[in-house]
Amino acid sequence: MTGPTGSSLDRSMLQALYRSDIRLSRFNPLERVLVFDDFNSGTHGWVELQGNYDGESNLDTIDDHMHDFRPPQLSSCNFFDVGTHGAMSGTYALKVATRPEKGHTAVAIRRLTMAGKGRVQFETYFTYKSEAASEENQAAQQAGSGGWDGNLHPSERQFGAFTVATDICDGVRYHCVARYLNTDLDNEMRRQWVYPIVPEPTPREHLEGKAKLDRLADFTAPNPEDWKPFGEPQELCYNEVPTKVNWHYLRWLIDTSTRSNIELQVNDRVYDMRDIPVPPYDEPYGSLENLLNFYVSVRTHTNVRNFLYLDSVLISVDW
Amino acid sequence: MHQSLTVVLERNARLTGEFTTEPYEVAWAREARWFIRVLDTEGTGTALEVTAQISPDGLHWCDLDEGPTRIEGAGLVSWPSREFGGWLRLKGRVSGDDGAMARVMIYLALKA
Repeated sequence: MTGPTGSSLDRSMLQALYRSDIRLSRFNPLERVLVFDDFNSGTHGWVELQGNYDGESNLDTIDDHMHDFRPPQLSSCNFFDVGTHGAMSGTYALKVATRPEKGHTAVAIRRLTMAGKGRVQFETYFTYKSEAASEENQAAQQAGSGGWDGNLHPSERQFGAFTVATDICDGVRYHCVARYLNTDLDNEMRRQWVYPIVPEPTPREHLEGKAKLDRLADFTAPNPEDWKPFGEPQELCYNEVPTKVNWHYLRWLIDTSTRSNIELQVNDRVYDMRDIPVPPYDEPYGSLENLLNFYVSVRTHTNVRNFLYLDSVLISVDW
Repeated sequence: MHQSLTVVLERNARLTGEFTTEPYEVAWAREARWFIRVLDTEGTGTALEVTAQISPDGLHWCDLDEGPTRIEGAGLVSWPSREFGGWLRLKGRVSGDDGAMARVMIYLALKA
């Protein structure tokens, strides 16, 4: 971390300031905090991602796979067995929830622009859960169920994947993406970080006849073969049952001056992402100058609702 | 300033038969108001009947409204829900001849 003058004094002073603020002391921001989202005070601009539509506001023109990414919720982490669990700080977290339908993806997006180029860092405290079984949802009869040994709970096998990603355009449009693949499509545990080797299909590509995805397509990269692993598998703290919430630290650093990933930290693991490719779009996009979007998604691999909870988010930059 | 949040629980959805909306957490909110825009319908005598439901946990539900709100034809209908606890959803039914369908937007407007 270096300041405008690049001195270590700047860095030490900034660190001391951040550490002295009880809200920021659990983060590791770069020089400038662009976004600090404490979900006890609203959604802070995190909104459901939706596809593009025509000039008559005809929502039939939205791509099938981009019309139902579900609105994020301000969740008190409320469960059938303990009532309100609460968030890491205060009562509320941002919850992104799928439908109970294999392949359904829920996506919340945060829309910004860039006032400079350089390093950009996304930090969050998160947790992830599958919905507890009930008579109505029949989760105990869905794929991935069964086999409780008093420690490992089948609910953990019913959580598919969550993703942190960007949509950036500086003339060239590209996505930096990292996904935690908890299970594969057969509900076998993978616990593997993965990245896509293709750019995400866009509404314009659909309109031009180049891409047409099904309603439940994996829109970030539809072909499972286009996801590649990085690092060793990482076991997270699901904590046995679907109603215990343990918060994990995630820090993801990218560089918009080189359109590249730098590193991903998840709790005690740091993954070097500098050699992980970031596939750009071949064609230019208008109306997106200095686009800087972050999105989080959660995808279920069985007919059970999957949830991603964010306690708080901090995005910082070195410009 | 009070917090507010409007969410779209169903967007351009073609509803048929019986349905429920996805569970939605509202423990932070003091006020809730439903808006249903019926964009169009198919079938003869098609009607949409909806009832707000509440839940202690997002899994088990009971009715909040005393009776269903009935909507016939295209247009916008709104009504409030009060003292709803932590969760809200709508239970509903599209009735009419075979092929009865209602294409809707369902909004939930919340305020702290």
